[in-house]
Amino acid sequence: MSVITVNAIGDTCPVPVIKAKQALAQMTEPGDLVVLVDNEVAVQNLTRMGASQGYAVQSEKTGDGNFQVRILVNALPQPEESAPDAACIPDARGDLVVAVDSAHMGRGSEELGATLMKGFLFAVGQLPRLPSTVLFYNGGASLSCEGSAALESLKSLEAQGVKILTCGTCLDYYGLTSKLAVGEVTNMYTIVETLAGAGKVIKP
Amino acid sequence: MSGPDGELRLIATFATTHSAISMERLCRAQGLPGRLIPVPRSISASCGMAWCALPEEREVLEGAVPSDPAIRVEGWYYVMF
Repeated sequence: MSVITVNAIGDTCPVPVIKAKQALAQMTEPGDLVVLVDNEVAVQNLTRMGASQGYAVQSEKTGDGNFQVRILVNALPQPEESAPDAACIPDARGDLVVAVDSAHMGRGSEELGATLMKGFLFAVGQLPRLPSTVLFYNGGASLSCEGSAALESLKSLEAQGVKILTCGTCLDYYGLTSKLAVGEVTNMYTIVETLAGAGKVIKP
Repeated sequence: MSGPDGELRLIATFATTHSAISMERLCRAQGLPGRLIPVPRSISASCGMAWCALPEEREVLEGAVPSDPAIRVEGWYYVMF
């Protein structure tokens, strides 16, 4: 497995996607293609480019405020299969808000509910129009904390510019204040304004 | 608590969410005035719940707090809203 890193910091669309495609074409064995960028739209476009070729894509914000997109190239692209053009898709964030009020999706088995929630938050990241914000409150607050099975999905959403907001009152109540692992702490005023300003709200 | 907007309110903030919930339990049990609200932004940009009452109710509230060791008031404020 090789790891190839492409530095596209400072580049605007379509340059990061073009650079990534060139690197992909030059790969001689399966491996990870890591692209460093400095804007969320580039993360979105790279995610689409990777997904359109059937690769899993992970992304996260790095400590320096930039973003790392990791495309898991499990099989080399066929030379004749030319990838779709590097279109500059406009910012894909809509006015959708996802409100997560429990660590479990639906009623019934909690074990099943936790599994469903993990799948739900992953699938949110696959939406053609991403939500502007994902809110976590009450039992949902544990999902954005250390040890959560959903962290990878949430970090990827954050890297694509989706605001990840967790109720601070709830973190405090559950003793999780120091465990928040993605996004920011919020308060009831912001939660209400976010819900009131949303075009659509979905609750898993 | 049903006065018009722009009235002066007494706000007590707490160290923890549990502390705020204990305050509500105490006040309900003893018939003390006030209600639990999210901490006003003018006091703190952070999170949390606060006890909101009228300024003249401070004395009775402050007097009741020591009866429950779970209640740790961080500060008493006067806020217009």
